[in-house]
Amino acid sequence: MVRLDGVTKTYPLGREKMVTAVQDVDLNVARGEFLVITGRSGAGKTTLLNLVAGLTRPTHGRIVWGDMDLWRMPDAQRSRLRSRRLGFVFQFASLLPSLTVAENVVLPTAFGSHRREPAVYERAGELLRMVGLADRRDAYPRQLSAGQQQRVVIARSLVNDPEMLLADEPTSNLDAETEREMMALFTEIHATRGVTVLMVTHAPQLVPACARLVEMADGAICARGAA
Amino acid sequence: MTARTAARIPAVAIAILAIVIGVMPLFFNCQYDGKTLVLANGREVPMKCYWTARAALAVAVPLLAVGLLMAFSRRAETLRALGILGAILGVMAILLPTLLIGVCQHAGASCSLVMKPTLVLAGILAIGVSLAGVAVSGRREEQTP
Amino acid sequence: MTLFRLAWKNVVGSAFRSWVVYLCVLLVTGLLFTSVLLIGGTRDSLRLIQQRLGADVVVVPEGTEAGVESALLMGRPVKAWMPRENEDKIAHVPGVREVSPQLYLASLANAPCCTAEMLVMAFDPQTDFTLTPWLRQHLGHGLSAGEAIGGSDVFVPYGEEHLRIYGSEIDLVGSLERTGTGLDTALFLTFETAYQVAEHSRTEAIRPLEIPPESISAALVRIEPEADPRVIALQISHEVTKVTAIPASGLFQTFRRQIDGLLRSMLTLLGAASALSLAIVGLVFSMAVNERRREIGVVRALGATQGEVLRTLLAEALMLALGGGASGILLAALVLYLFRDLIVVSLAMPFLFPALPLLVALVGGGLVAGLAGVGLAVLFPVVRASRLDPAVAMREQ
Repeated sequence: MVRLDGVTKTYPLGREKMVTAVQDVDLNVARGEFLVITGRSGAGKTTLLNLVAGLTRPTHGRIVWGDMDLWRMPDAQRSRLRSRRLGFVFQFASLLPSLTVAENVVLPTAFGSHRREPAVYERAGELLRMVGLADRRDAYPRQLSAGQQQRVVIARSLVNDPEMLLADEPTSNLDAETEREMMALFTEIHATRGVTVLMVTHAPQLVPACARLVEMADGAICARGAA
Repeated sequence: MTARTAARIPAVAIAILAIVIGVMPLFFNCQYDGKTLVLANGREVPMKCYWTARAALAVAVPLLAVGLLMAFSRRAETLRALGILGAILGVMAILLPTLLIGVCQHAGASCSLVMKPTLVLAGILAIGVSLAGVAVSGRREEQTP
Repeated sequence: MTLFRLAWKNVVGSAFRSWVVYLCVLLVTGLLFTSVLLIGGTRDSLRLIQQRLGADVVVVPEGTEAGVESALLMGRPVKAWMPRENEDKIAHVPGVREVSPQLYLASLANAPCCTAEMLVMAFDPQTDFTLTPWLRQHLGHGLSAGEAIGGSDVFVPYGEEHLRIYGSEIDLVGSLERTGTGLDTALFLTFETAYQVAEHSRTEAIRPLEIPPESISAALVRIEPEADPRVIALQISHEVTKVTAIPASGLFQTFRRQIDGLLRSMLTLLGAASALSLAIVGLVFSMAVNERRREIGVVRALGATQGEVLRTLLAEALMLALGGGASGILLAALVLYLFRDLIVVSLAMPFLFPALPLLVALVGGGLVAGLAGVGLAVLFPVVRASRLDPAVAMREQ
C-alpha cells in the first residue's frame, strides 16, 4: 500500500546543528495490516509517521503510495491524498476549539470537493454513536474530558472512509482504563472496517494479536516482529 | 464565558446610553437657554423641547434599570427579556423628539441642533446594543453544558 | 462544513481578537467616510450656492467681500451699501449681458421664528435671473407685494398665518431646497416688498428698517457666453469706483482656504489613524496565526491545501473587515446625517448630506477600501501560515 525506500530525514536544530530523525529506513505497509511502531522517545517514530503521511519532506529516499511517488506530486494532490485516504489521531488535543463536536467530526469534509452534501452530519452522528458520544454532538471540546476528546478525534479520522489510520501515541495522555477502551476501539475498527492501521504506541501489549511490530532506535528500524 | 459575563458588556453600554438620554436634554433645551413661549395673555410657558427633556427622563430611568439588571442577571431568559425591553425603550427615545412631542422648529435652537439628534442616535444605539445582548445571551445558552 | 463556515466559527470563537480587528476597521472606515462626506458635502454646498446665484460675477462695495461671502454662506446679515447708479455703470461694461441688484437686510433679533437676526435678501424682479426661474418653475408666477419665499428652514410659527418682519405681515409662499448653508434660514422678497416693510416699520416696529435711498448691496452680473469672467471682473473694478468685482470661481476664497486647512488636518489625522489601525490588525493576525500554528498543522494534515488554509484565514480577516467597515460607515453616516445642522453652525461651514445614489457609491467605495486595507495588512502573516510545514507546525507548543 505504501512503501518507504531508503528514507532519511534530517532537520536543523538551531543554526549549526543538524539532527537525523530517520536514518535510511526501508518499510512496507501492506493493505489491511495493523502495524505498530515502538521505541524510546526521540527514536524517530513520529517523524516516520509524518513521512508516510506526506506531512514532511524526506531529505533522501522515496515514499511511494501505490505507484505514486509522494514527493513528485504537487502539494494540492498530496493534500487530497491525506483528505481521501488517510485518517489521523494525534497525541495532542487536536480538536478545533471553536467548532462543536459534530463540526469537528465533519471538518475533513470541508477540504477538497467531495462530501459537501448534508449527509455528512448524519455520518458524523453514526460515528459519534460508534464511539459513544452521540449525546455530546453540540458540546464544545473544552466541555469534554481528554478521553472523550480522543474518541471524537477517532470519529473524525473515519469520516472520509479512509484506507489508512495513522495514530501517533493516541493514548499517552489517558488513564489506564480509558487507554484500554481506546485500544479496543482501534482493534474493532481494524477488524470490522478493514482499515490499515499504522500506530505509534508505548503500550504494544494492548494491540491486537495480528499486529506487526517494528521497533525504532536512533532513527533506524532495529527490530521487526509480531505482537 | 458565562451568559452573565457576556451580558455585562452590553449592560454597561446600555447604562451609559441611559445616562446620555436622561442628562443631555436637560442642558440642551430652550428653557435652559432662557427662551420661553409668550402667550397672548402675556404668560410665559416652556416650549415643547422642555417637555421632551422631561419625558426623556421617563425613558432614561427604566433604561438604566435595564442596564443594571442585565449586569447582575444570571439566566439567559431574563437577559433576553431585558434586551427586548431595552430595545423598546430605545424606540421611545427616538419617538420622543420626533413624533411624540418634538422639539422647536427653528434649525438654530439647541434642542434642534443637539437634543434631537443625540436622542435619536442614543435610541438607535440602545436598540442595537439591546438586540446584540439578546443574541449573545441566546448563544451562550447553547454553549452551557 | 465549508471553508466559509470554518472561518465564521473561528471569528466567533476568538472574541477578543475579533473585537480588536473589528474596532480597528470600524475606526478607520468611520474616519475615512466622515472625511469624504465632510469634504464632499462642503464642496457640494459651495457648488450649489454658486449655481443658485447663477451669476458669473458678483459686484459688492469695496471692503465688504468677506461680509457678503459670510451672508451667502452662513446667512449672517451684512451691512453693504453702494450707489444704485452702479447698476447702470456695470451694465455698460463691454461683455456684460445682464445685471441684477440685490439688497441685504436683517430681520429683528428675537423674532418668533428665529433665535438671532435673519438675513433678508431683496431682489429686483425686472432684472433678476437667480430666483425668478425657480419661482416660475415652482409657483408659476413671480412674487407679489407682501409675499416672500424662504430657505428650507424658514417657517411660519405654529398657530400663525404670516411671518412678521419689522411689524409687517409677510406671506410665505414657498421654500427653497436645502443648500446646507446659511441661506437655508434666509428670506427672499422683492424690492417693492422691502421698501413697503421699511415704510411700515417706522410706525409698526420696535426699530425701523433703514434702507439707504438709491442704494444696493450687491449686483449679480451675467456676461456674454464668449467673455472671460475674470477679465470682465477686472474691467468692472476699473470702471466703477469703490467696488470689488468677484468672478464666481473666485467666490468664497477665504472660506475655501480655511476649509482646505481643516481638511488637511483631518487627512493627516486620518492617515495616522489608518496606519496605526492597520498595523494593529496586521499584528493581531500575526499573533493569532502564531498561536494557531498547531491548529493550522492539524488542518493541513486533515487534507487542507495551502490555498484552502490561505482562503480560510483571509476569509476570517475579510469577515471582520466587512463587519467593522459596515459598522463604521453606518455610524459615520448616521452621526453626520443627524448632526448636519450642528456641523454647519458650530464649524461655520456649509455642509450638504449627499443624495442617495452618491451615498451608495461612497458606501461601496468605503467598504472596498476597508476590505483592501485589511487584506493587505494580513497578507504577509496569512501567506506565511499557509506555507508552514505541517509537521513542524504541529510540533510547536
